[in-house]
Amino acid sequence: MAVLMPDYDSSPRGLADAARHRERIKEAIKRNLPDIISDEAIITRRENQIVKVPIRGIKSFRFIHRQSDGASGGFGSGETEEGKVIGRRSKPGNDPAGKAGEEPGEDYMETEIDLAELIEMMLADLGLPNLRQKEVRETKILKGWKIDSLEKHGVRPRLDKKRTIKEAIKRTEAIIQALSQMSRKSEEECRAALDAAGGDPARALAILDAGPVSGKPGDPNAIFIDSSDLRYRTITEDTEFHSNAVILAMMDVSGSMGTMKKYLARSFYFWMTSFLKTIYQRVEIRFIAHTTEAKLVDEHEFFHKGESGGTSCWSAYDLATELIDLEYPTSRWNVYPFHFSDGEDWDVQRTVKSLEKMLERGVANFGYGEIQAEHSISALMDAFKQKIPLQSRIMEGFSFYEGLWGTSPMLGVVIKDKLDLYPALRVFLNTGKRGGGLQRFTG
Amino acid sequence: MNSVDIKRLGKADELIKRIGREFGLDFMPQEFDVVPAQKMLEIMAYRLPVNYSHWSFGRDYEIERTRWEYGYAVPYEVVFNSNPARAYIMETNPSAIQILVMAHVYAHNDFMKNSRHFQATRRDMITSASEAASRFRAYEQDYGSDEVERLIDAAMSIEWNIDPDELLRPETEDEARERLYGWLKATPTGGGFDDLIPEKKRPQPAEKQKLRDKTPPEPTIDLLKYIIDSAPRRLREWEKDILTVVRNQALYFMPYRRTKIMNEGWATFWHEKIMNRLFAEKFLSPEEHGYYNLYNARVKAHNPRTINPYLLGWALFQNIEHRWNTGRFGPDYEACTSAAEKRDWDRHLNRGIEKIFEVRRTHMDWFFIDEFLNQEVIDDLELFIYQEVDKTTHLDLEVKETDWRKIKKVLVQNLMNWGIPRILVLDGNYHNSSQLYLKHEFEGLPLDDEYCRKTLEHVHFLWGRPVYLETNSLRTGGPITYYIDGDGIRVRTG
Repeated sequence: MAVLMPDYDSSPRGLADAARHRERIKEAIKRNLPDIISDEAIITRRENQIVKVPIRGIKSFRFIHRQSDGASGGFGSGETEEGKVIGRRSKPGNDPAGKAGEEPGEDYMETEIDLAELIEMMLADLGLPNLRQKEVRETKILKGWKIDSLEKHGVRPRLDKKRTIKEAIKRTEAIIQALSQMSRKSEEECRAALDAAGGDPARALAILDAGPVSGKPGDPNAIFIDSSDLRYRTITEDTEFHSNAVILAMMDVSGSMGTMKKYLARSFYFWMTSFLKTIYQRVEIRFIAHTTEAKLVDEHEFFHKGESGGTSCWSAYDLATELIDLEYPTSRWNVYPFHFSDGEDWDVQRTVKSLEKMLERGVANFGYGEIQAEHSISALMDAFKQKIPLQSRIMEGFSFYEGLWGTSPMLGVVIKDKLDLYPALRVFLNTGKRGGGLQRFTG
Repeated sequence: MNSVDIKRLGKADELIKRIGREFGLDFMPQEFDVVPAQKMLEIMAYRLPVNYSHWSFGRDYEIERTRWEYGYAVPYEVVFNSNPARAYIMETNPSAIQILVMAHVYAHNDFMKNSRHFQATRRDMITSASEAASRFRAYEQDYGSDEVERLIDAAMSIEWNIDPDELLRPETEDEARERLYGWLKATPTGGGFDDLIPEKKRPQPAEKQKLRDKTPPEPTIDLLKYIIDSAPRRLREWEKDILTVVRNQALYFMPYRRTKIMNEGWATFWHEKIMNRLFAEKFLSPEEHGYYNLYNARVKAHNPRTINPYLLGWALFQNIEHRWNTGRFGPDYEACTSAAEKRDWDRHLNRGIEKIFEVRRTHMDWFFIDEFLNQEVIDDLELFIYQEVDKTTHLDLEVKETDWRKIKKVLVQNLMNWGIPRILVLDGNYHNSSQLYLKHEFEGLPLDDEYCRKTLEHVHFLWGRPVYLETNSLRTGGPITYYIDGDGIRVRTG
């Protein structure tokens, strides 16, 4: 029959070469990181670690023609008339990521990329490649007890019977060898003589010298334990180095924080957690939502539940300080409090005081993100600037505030839209190089 | 898909073969493999069922997959010019569509068996590519995958700069020299009709010497072959193998490329006729007719961004059939000025089918379009030309031209030499120092500057010595020359 269903091996060859292609378009992906990371699909993705990224493939260069007037275009068919616009295309370089859905037939594709790979690329792009474990503060944790070594003296309960018998066998066999050499008799006879002598080598030699050893042959399993054979265990504490980090995610959830603002905060937390997970063995995140009062909430509530009412940021800082004292002592945890608000605050003075109290706990770094709408008043950032020794800096065109080295571990950014997200992350991760940010308190 | 479905496809296979033969189609043996979607997408991206690894195939796989996942394109069929011809159809398509695809494939089969342009190609490419794939894997192990990739990159950049007619008259450089100056033929005359042939002038020694040194003896468009044979870089055997495989595959696909519109038009023309018979013979059910109509309409759909070769080719064959049935061709018809008379013109020749079979044997797209595309078809299909107009923030695709004469002119210009710029190798020993001198045969369309530069980098890598390319400027139309050596590319006018 001419129609068959062959049993193909389904080794995904296409995927393997696609990975090589992806390797080659890493630059293109990197260029588009600010777009890609603010893509909602990535952040809301559940379970799997694979994200889809819309990109344009690398061109295959060859000799090709241009139209003589230099304009690009093509042929089409279907009802139309001269001058009619049949579609539009983004300009090369403008909106480089594009959207796969917009331009059928174009060389757009969606490539699948491992989230971990994407994070690695971001870290590399942000100038933090290969953050190693030892660069972050580690804490020593007691795990239990472990055997350290064996010694010849010790207390009875720690006698290592197995090792003791092993030593005895070794010694017994050595004696038999020696007896055999000295008396020129067989090992069997020597073993019988040693047996008869109760393990005493001198007596055994005397028996051997006296003449043929009679009686039963030596028990090959006889072991004579001497005090020099005894082995005792010593034990020590078993410890492990852990690097733990906790993010205390605080957010103003009062009426003025709209969906878009929350989305920005959420994206930020998503990436921050992802980054910290590559650095620390263990990362916890706790959510503190506040209006005039602060409370611990779960993730869903944190991002989805809006409340009305006023805003008192100090309530969140006080709750964070309390959490640090009770659950995350800074002697054992690298604590990263972050706070997102739109800058409104009812009692700025009190908030500054609460903040100072929290900073005194020795947090690794406090990040403050103010999400500003076009006409919002930003009382808080201004107050922080006055009260806390902050200096204004600019990194690649993005301005932010940084606490003075050694005085206040704090970074402040103002986020106005989606595209500020990436520079903001860059600020939080990259300032470590100069002694701020993530790596401020190391070792 | 279960064994009952497979059996039904087997039955369809028999019927299609019978009906096709009744229509006058002439087939090679045909085999079908029903494959899962992933395999189908891979075959489309890799061009062959098993092929060597390259990132560009991976990229194309992702493009095909994206298009498929978003429903822009439904992979129907891939068919290879092998003997027996081998076709792949997608497991997940409904059975009526698979039968449509089979009818379509049989028409391709007829085309490949009978079109003049497929005759010289090898029919063992499927096996050959699969063997090349394992050799390339070994090269990757022995010489490093970066090395292999670099070479494939370079080879693929000039894969179409080959001479498709070389297969018809393979010739070595020395043979070409002999042919050019007839050295051997200048042997003493030995009777016969020699006295009727004008006496050959024996070349002067200096001329002879010049020719002996000249490489290539005459300009060639087979840049890739010239590099394989003559690159001063001293290509190692495995490197030559890679370049040769890439070239052989390009030669294999060249006929497809040269007859895309005809081949797809031909297959669409006949699958419609065959399918109609299958419905008439009640092999296919009325509900399946709905599926068929839907998919067939998608095959022939208008595309505002590009010409659908299935639609254009189908329309042309329909038009030719009609014209030769009614006698609407030749001086009488052309000379007729009465629109009414032309509209009702019918000489009852009934030579339509005969004509299209003749055209499918002899033509390729370039001449097919040039000879048969007319106002009627262009207006029917509402063909147009659009241009990208810069609107600062984006580009608008604006319809620029709907006049049939202009459209035909530009279309023929684009199909000229199958859309591949003719790059001639003029001299492989330029300045007597193994430099390569290339010339773009300018036929009104300039080269794209970015693509040209990048491709020249590849050529320079393969050649190993400086490379020149003479062409015409996009901006002024005047002559310019690209020059590339180890320090990079320079362009000068003149």
